[in-house]
Amino acid sequence: MKREDWIRPYFSTHTWRFALIVFLGLLTALCASALMFTSGYLISKSSLRPENILMVYVPVVLVRTFGISRSVVHYVERLVGHDTILRILSHMRVRLYRLLEPQALFIRSRFRTGDILGMLADDIEYLQNIFMRTIFPSIVALAAYVVVIAALGWFDPAFALLMAFYIALLIFVLPALSLYVNKARNRQLKQKRNQLYQKLTDAVLGMGDWVISGRQATFVNDYEREEAEVARIERSLSNWSKWRTFAAQGVVGAVVISMIYWAAQMFAAQAIDATLIAAFVLVVFPMMEAFLPVSDAIDKLPQYTDSLDRMAKVDQGEGEGESRNKSKHEGESEGARKNSITSGEQQASESAERAADGRAGKSRGNYDSCGNSDNHENHENHENRDNHDKCDKRSHSDSSSLITEKLVQAARQSAHIRIEHASYRYEQGSEMAVEELSLDIPQGKKIAVIGRSGAGKSTLLKLIQGALAPTSGAVTINGTPADAYAGADRIATVVSVLNQSPHLFDTTVANNIRLGRYDASEEELRQAARQARLDGLIESLPEGYLTPMHEAGQRFSGGERQRVALARILLQQTPVVLLDEPTVGLDPRTERELLATMFDAMADKSLIWITHHLVGVEQMDEVIFMEEGRIIMRGTHEQLMKQEARYRRLYQLDRPLVMKAVGLS
Amino acid sequence: MDKHTLGFKGSKLVVAVIVLLTFIHSVSILYIAIGLAETISSLFAGQALQEQVDSIAKFLLAFFIRQLTALLMQKIAYRYAETAGRELRKQLVSKLFQFGPRLVQSEGTGNVVTLVLDGIAQFRTYVELIIPRMIGTAITPIIVLGYVCWLDPVAAIILAVTMPILIVFMILLGLATKTHMGRQWKSYRLLSNHFVDSLRGLETLKVLGQSKAHSDTIERVSDSYRSATIKTLRMAFLSSFALDFFTTLSVAMVAVNLGLRLIEGDTVLYPALLILILAPEYFLPIRMVGADYHATLKGKEAGKAIRAVIEKGEAEAVKLASSPSAHAAEQAKWTWTKDSTLTLKEVGLKHEAEGPASLDDIHLTLRGMKKVGVIGASGAGKSTLIDILGGFLAPSSGDVLLNGESIKRLTEEGWRQQLTYIPQQPYLYNSSLADNVRFYTPDASEEDVKQAIAAAGLDQVVARLPQGMDEVIGNGGRSLSGGQEQRVALARAFLSKRPIMLLDEPTAHLDIETEYELKETMLPLLENKLVLMATHRLHWMMEMDWVIVLEHGRIAETGTHEELLERKGLYYEMMRMQMEGVDEG
Repeated sequence: MKREDWIRPYFSTHTWRFALIVFLGLLTALCASALMFTSGYLISKSSLRPENILMVYVPVVLVRTFGISRSVVHYVERLVGHDTILRILSHMRVRLYRLLEPQALFIRSRFRTGDILGMLADDIEYLQNIFMRTIFPSIVALAAYVVVIAALGWFDPAFALLMAFYIALLIFVLPALSLYVNKARNRQLKQKRNQLYQKLTDAVLGMGDWVISGRQATFVNDYEREEAEVARIERSLSNWSKWRTFAAQGVVGAVVISMIYWAAQMFAAQAIDATLIAAFVLVVFPMMEAFLPVSDAIDKLPQYTDSLDRMAKVDQGEGEGESRNKSKHEGESEGARKNSITSGEQQASESAERAADGRAGKSRGNYDSCGNSDNHENHENHENRDNHDKCDKRSHSDSSSLITEKLVQAARQSAHIRIEHASYRYEQGSEMAVEELSLDIPQGKKIAVIGRSGAGKSTLLKLIQGALAPTSGAVTINGTPADAYAGADRIATVVSVLNQSPHLFDTTVANNIRLGRYDASEEELRQAARQARLDGLIESLPEGYLTPMHEAGQRFSGGERQRVALARILLQQTPVVLLDEPTVGLDPRTERELLATMFDAMADKSLIWITHHLVGVEQMDEVIFMEEGRIIMRGTHEQLMKQEARYRRLYQLDRPLVMKAVGLS
Repeated sequence: MDKHTLGFKGSKLVVAVIVLLTFIHSVSILYIAIGLAETISSLFAGQALQEQVDSIAKFLLAFFIRQLTALLMQKIAYRYAETAGRELRKQLVSKLFQFGPRLVQSEGTGNVVTLVLDGIAQFRTYVELIIPRMIGTAITPIIVLGYVCWLDPVAAIILAVTMPILIVFMILLGLATKTHMGRQWKSYRLLSNHFVDSLRGLETLKVLGQSKAHSDTIERVSDSYRSATIKTLRMAFLSSFALDFFTTLSVAMVAVNLGLRLIEGDTVLYPALLILILAPEYFLPIRMVGADYHATLKGKEAGKAIRAVIEKGEAEAVKLASSPSAHAAEQAKWTWTKDSTLTLKEVGLKHEAEGPASLDDIHLTLRGMKKVGVIGASGAGKSTLIDILGGFLAPSSGDVLLNGESIKRLTEEGWRQQLTYIPQQPYLYNSSLADNVRFYTPDASEEDVKQAIAAAGLDQVVARLPQGMDEVIGNGGRSLSGGQEQRVALARAFLSKRPIMLLDEPTAHLDIETEYELKETMLPLLENKLVLMATHRLHWMMEMDWVIVLEHGRIAETGTHEELLERKGLYYEMMRMQMEGVDEG
């Protein structure tokens, strides 16, 4: 997707509104000019001392009318402009959301640089400026250009040509020159600013280390040197724009002189009335006001490239900083693992979308080549057609059509998950993230999964969630492929997920829990909260269940926040629950209490629990150890304790005293 | 414009020069009008164009001077703003470092970075605009009005009366907008946050199966956000409308009034034209202030926020009073040896004067090289104690004694030079692995770095990296796993040979095998140092020479692992609970 795709389509969808904005903008400029024109005329006419005051009645009324209407029209113009932009923004939000939605489970691993989602939201806000400050003023100037030249051409075509030249200097030559001259500087500035940002973020995050190292002064000097570099570029840009304004004013001066000369000639030739001399000369200044801002408006263009690029990337499926690392693949480290996910999710959403394709019977590609089709907008149609062939050539596995309501209802009651020789690789030629994995999870079985980062635990969960379809082998729920459930968007009725940092939304506590199931009754909601041992806490809040989360959130500890999320998935009433290290970062006591609550509430459910240490594993039916995509140890806690020295060693780390049996009864 | 804008080097000269230039600027405006009015009225009277050369030259010269003075003023203001921004940034950055990581923690990394980069830029824009605008508003209208008054008092009265009406109206509208915004604020905040909240929670929505349906919600909320915004804008734009309205209307009134008096013969064309040309110039400065209002407001707020941080830092600096460079003799005083003692006496810490104490009445003596474990539930004060010992925070009460000498606090450069610090997630700089290891000791030799890397068990990892130890890591470089990050921090600590090691929860987030291996590597590196490790992973306590158990900010008990088990106190309880595992039900 190209940058322009976040801008250009809106010209065709909002043509009339854009036209209205330009018309009002033009009208504002015309009113301002007309005010000076009629004022000049009025005074000249009056100075001839006409016999009757009625002789100047019309110009008197016009002067007042233009004076008033200028500000009124300008006010309306601004409101219409903002209303239109906000409509566009609202559309952009939905569009961005729909682009991100299929990738939801992979965003975190894809965009590693900070708060990418927050940045994207800001980008959309920022893009309103490109319309308000660059596009609209430029079009208004262009329209005014046409009107002015046409009006002058009516008096004197030759002079109109001269004016056309002058104004072209202002609205074409200077802006283009400006863009051209500053191109290198803008690029350099952007690069340096990014470096500064990086450097500062680095230092702020590692401030403790800087402080302890005693090398702060080194950093500050270093940093200031780079700032000075940036300041130098900024200064040269600013100087350029000041001299450009000066040159533009020079053009205005030339226009005034030409106008005086022309008006005098016309008057001498009896082509215009004496009263129009003042009118013509005075109109120059307000008229030029419409053209002078164009250079500044165009100068701002490079500022938007960052935002536009970022948003375009969402479509291309290429994360920030991701491309840089791409070449450095190496199966072992977590980083490489994460990198490969970039392409993994393409497959993921491909499979999901493929499934959807089959069902909907129309082209609904994934975001990289066919992403635009997710937008139900006319202006995207040509895009779709371009991509249509590509999309159609994909094999349409009709798996999601296997999903019937009956199947879903059955799986809701009892889900038997079978993983048979499943392997998954994120990229052709890369190592298997999960290899030859077999697991049988009948309804109610509880499994703990342990392994290092990069061992394939998360991939395993994504396979069960149906977010990924195995490269070979099968992952089925009651005999139907898990990715078919996901493709039909019904997986959430069977499998729920509690991860390390579930998002709590900025709404009431009750609404946060209700997200699990919208049609849950009040009683069911309270029941879920009770099961999560949250009822006492919620009832102690000033507004109980209706307390806004952002107020309650400050009072909630990490463990309590997890309990809210727990209540939410309990309300979801799925037979299978995936737990992805839900207790990392909690202290041992909180961890134990939360685990006890969870196990208690999920007694009948199947549980696949990724955990980083061994607290609570005794309660599981099976413990599996993963390494490099394979299961290297499996069995119940007791079996592993008996058979595996390695397991005993780890258990000893977690429970040193049980092993030593020192003084504890 | 206040003391904060003018508090920087060279401000007096800048103001003086800009005042002078504004004066010339204003006079040139008068001459532009005179030149034009002369030319037009002469042409009107039927004189030949050739006779107007003088007047046209007058206009051109004045026009040139006007643009030139404007250019100069902008340049001067820009230079000054640049200086002001730089000075302020220097203050801010050095305060940040003085204040250390705690400020960053309370303000958030993103906010601090934004404040330094964007905040300073906004402040600079503010300074750049506000000085010429304010001086222009103070001088130009008065000169123009004075000249108009001399030409034609009636027109001057019309212009003069408009100004106060304008100002009163704008104040009233400003107030009305404010109350309107205040009423709307709560729902406004919800609406404006909705989208970013939805994006952040996208993963959660997806696993809840709600993500597809949610796009309709986004559309709906976006729409109500739009209508709420437009409602507010209708009010907010009224003030610039009023500015527009009254100024253009005033010009129109002047024109009509002049026209009528021309008919009556009270005045003639030349002064009437002159006044007509000057009338918009009279209002121009204040209109420019209005146009730049938002840009300046932002910069003003940013300046305020920055100064708040600096002042906070200054208040703290009085408490810290650290000497920037410690002399050799001074350094010797801080050097930790096997005979050194450090005593905390009745040490307490309150983050806010009225708030609850994070630490209270801590009595503690550390002697020579030994390994000390610090345990307790979350919120018991483990990290705060590490912060005080690490010199990140000064205690708000009590005394600290080093080798029996009262020093009040440990926030001194000399003390920090004794320490290495390994937090849960050590930060890796965006630089080569070797540079990261070399962080405390930039001059260390290649050989020493290799040795440190081997000691931290990183040699195998390094061997697999394409660039070896020159591989770039950190944000933007190759990412390492949690265990590897800890090893880099260990290598860093090893290389520095500093005698004291502070560890804050170094392994709790790691999977158990990584933790196990890391512990194996770590234990030998902790020998012959004073080690303080805060953790809730109890297995570490077996390796410690001494254990401090904290509860609610106080020391509950201290002793060796065995002694504490004997006591059957809090420590015993914690151990017992952990050993029992998770009870079902």
